[in-house]
Amino acid sequence: MAELETLSDVVSRGNRAEAKKITQELIDAGMAPGEVLDRGLIPGMKIIGDKFKNNQAFVPEMLIAARAMKEAMIVLEPLLLGQGITPKYTAVIGTVQGDLHDIGKNLVALMWKGANIGVVDLGTNVTPAKFIEAAREHKAHIIGMSALLTTTMTIMQATIQGIRQANLPGLKVMVGGAPVTQEFADRIGADGFAADAATAVERALALIENTPVQV
Amino acid sequence: MTPRERVLAAVEHREPDYTPMDLGGTPVTGIHCSIVEALRKHYGLPQRLVKVHEPYQMLGMVEDDLKEAMGVDTVGVPAPNTIFGFPPENYKPWTAPWGQDLLVPADFHTTSNAEGDQFIYPKGDMSVGPSGHMPASSFFFDTIIRQPEIDEDKLDVEENMEEFELISDSDLKRFASMASAARKTGRCVVANLPGAALGDIALVPAPFLVNPKGIRDITEWYMSLAVRQDYVKELFARQTAIALQNFKTINDACGDDLDVVMLCGTDFGTQNSTFCSNDTFRDIWLPYYRQMNDWIHANTKWKTFKHSCGAVIPLINSFIDAGFDILNPVQCSAGGMDPQVLKEQFGDRITFWGGGVDTQRVLPFGTPEEVRQQVSERLRIFSKNGGFVFNTIHNIQAKTPIENLVAMLETRRQFNGQ
Repeated sequence: MAELETLSDVVSRGNRAEAKKITQELIDAGMAPGEVLDRGLIPGMKIIGDKFKNNQAFVPEMLIAARAMKEAMIVLEPLLLGQGITPKYTAVIGTVQGDLHDIGKNLVALMWKGANIGVVDLGTNVTPAKFIEAAREHKAHIIGMSALLTTTMTIMQATIQGIRQANLPGLKVMVGGAPVTQEFADRIGADGFAADAATAVERALALIENTPVQV
Repeated sequence: MTPRERVLAAVEHREPDYTPMDLGGTPVTGIHCSIVEALRKHYGLPQRLVKVHEPYQMLGMVEDDLKEAMGVDTVGVPAPNTIFGFPPENYKPWTAPWGQDLLVPADFHTTSNAEGDQFIYPKGDMSVGPSGHMPASSFFFDTIIRQPEIDEDKLDVEENMEEFELISDSDLKRFASMASAARKTGRCVVANLPGAALGDIALVPAPFLVNPKGIRDITEWYMSLAVRQDYVKELFARQTAIALQNFKTINDACGDDLDVVMLCGTDFGTQNSTFCSNDTFRDIWLPYYRQMNDWIHANTKWKTFKHSCGAVIPLINSFIDAGFDILNPVQCSAGGMDPQVLKEQFGDRITFWGGGVDTQRVLPFGTPEEVRQQVSERLRIFSKNGGFVFNTIHNIQAKTPIENLVAMLETRRQFNGQ
C-alpha cells in the first residue's frame, strides 16, 4: 500500500495523476477518507506553502500543487460527504468592489482549501452587500478580501464598516493585496492581514481559533 | 544638453546636466487621463479634451505643452495597435464613467450593463464578446479571460502564435511616421516595439484577438511555466524569430529615429518575491531575451528597456546578462528593493528608469512633505554617475493628489539647482 508521506510528496510536487491514484489506493486499502485528507493531502499543501514562504517555490508550483489536491479530492469528496464530514471552518473570499485583479485572491483561496477550510469564492468586484449576504448564508467564520489597486484599497474600509454594521458576531475579516500593509489593515479595522498566500493560512486559522500565530 | 542628450547620457552612465525625466513615454511610465486633465489645469494650459492613447490603463496623452511645463525629456512612439487590437488614431469623444469628457480612438467601442460597468471589444468588433471590463467604480479596464478548458492532447503552439506576425506595411508606415515626428521634438524617442514581450500576463489573454486560441487563461499560463516548459520555450523561440525580423524591418524604415526601445513588460516580481526562480528565468526566458538584445546591440544604437514590477532583486543580474540596458519601474516598495542596495550592486551596469517615488503609498496617500523627502532621497541615491531616469514607480494612477505631483516635480527642479 502506498504511504501517506508519498501522497503528501506528490501533492507538493503537483503530480495530479499520482495524487489521484495514490488517494484511490489508500481508500481501496481501507483507510478512512478523513485520514487521507488530514494526513496525506493537507500536509502536502503545507510542504508547498512553506517552500513558497521561503522562496523555494513560486506561483506556478503552488498552482499545480493545488490542482493535484483538487484531483485527489474528486475521489475523497463524495466519501467525506457520505460520512457527513465537512470542513470545520468556512471562509468567504473575493476582491473588493471595482477590483478585478484576482491572482493573489485565488492563491489564498487555494491555500485555504488546502488547509481544509471550506471556501466560498465570490470572485472579483464584490460589493459589501454580497460579502455580507454570503457570510450570513454560509455561516462563515472569516471573510477574506483583497485589492491590488490604490484606487480600490480604500473601498476595503467601507466594506469592513458595512460588515461590522451587519451584526455577524464572531466573524473575522482578513485583508491582503500588493499595496495593503499591516498598518493599513489596522487603520481600517481589519482583524488580520497576510503578505502572502501561505501566511494567510496561519493567520486565518489563528484568527478563527483565537490562538497566537506560530511564525 | 538637449532632452535627448540628457537621457542618453544617463543611460550611458555619464552624469547629465540635469536629472532626466520620463512621463508618458511608454504604457508603464504614463499618467491616467484624469490626472493629465488636472495637471493641465494646474499649469494653466489650454483646456482641451485629453486623448486616451492607451485604453487599457486609460493613459492620457502628455502633449508638448504639458511636457514643457513639467520638464519631460522623452517622447513615446506607441506600438501600431493598442492592447485591444485597434490603432490609437482618429480620435472621437467619449464620456468616462467618472464624468470626464475624453477623446478615444475611433475603434474604441463600449457597452455597459445595469451597474454601469463598461465593456470593450477586440479590434472594435462588437459581433463577438468583449475582451475588456471596467467595473463602474474603477478607472481602467482589465482583460476578460475567454479561454475554454484546455484539452491537453490537442495543445498546439501554433494556436498561441496568432498575434505574432510580420509587421504590415500600413502599421510600419504609421509607426515610422510617428517616429519621424517624435525625432523632430528634440526629446529622447522611446518606442514600444510590438510582439517582443515574452509571456506578459497582460497580453496572454489576447484582448486584441477576436477569437483567441491556445493557452489564454492566467492560471493555466502560470501552471504551464511549471508543467509545459517545452511548449513555452517553443512559443518563445518562434515568437523571437518573428520579432527579430520585425526589428530589422523597423530599423530599415526608421531605426535612426528611435533611441530607446521597450521590449517586454513581463512582470517577474510579486510584492515580496519573484514569480520564478533565477534558474527558471535563465532556462526559459534569458536565451530569447539575449537573442533580441544581441541583435539590437549589433545592428542599432537603440537602448533596450525591460519592465518588471515587484521584488526582482534576485533576477537583476540575469536581466543584465540578458543584455537589457534599462530596468523599469524599480519598485522600491517591494521586498528587498532598497534604493541604496540597488544602486551599489547594479547601478553601474543597468539604468534605473523609475524608482522616483512610491505609487503604492507615498504619492497617492502621503503628504506633499513626505513626497518631497522621498523624491529628494531617491534623486540623491540614484542619480550619481548617471544610470537614472526619473519616473514614478509605474503609471500615475487616478485620484493621485495634484499637490503631491507638484511636490514631486518641484523637488526634481530644486535638486537640479532651479
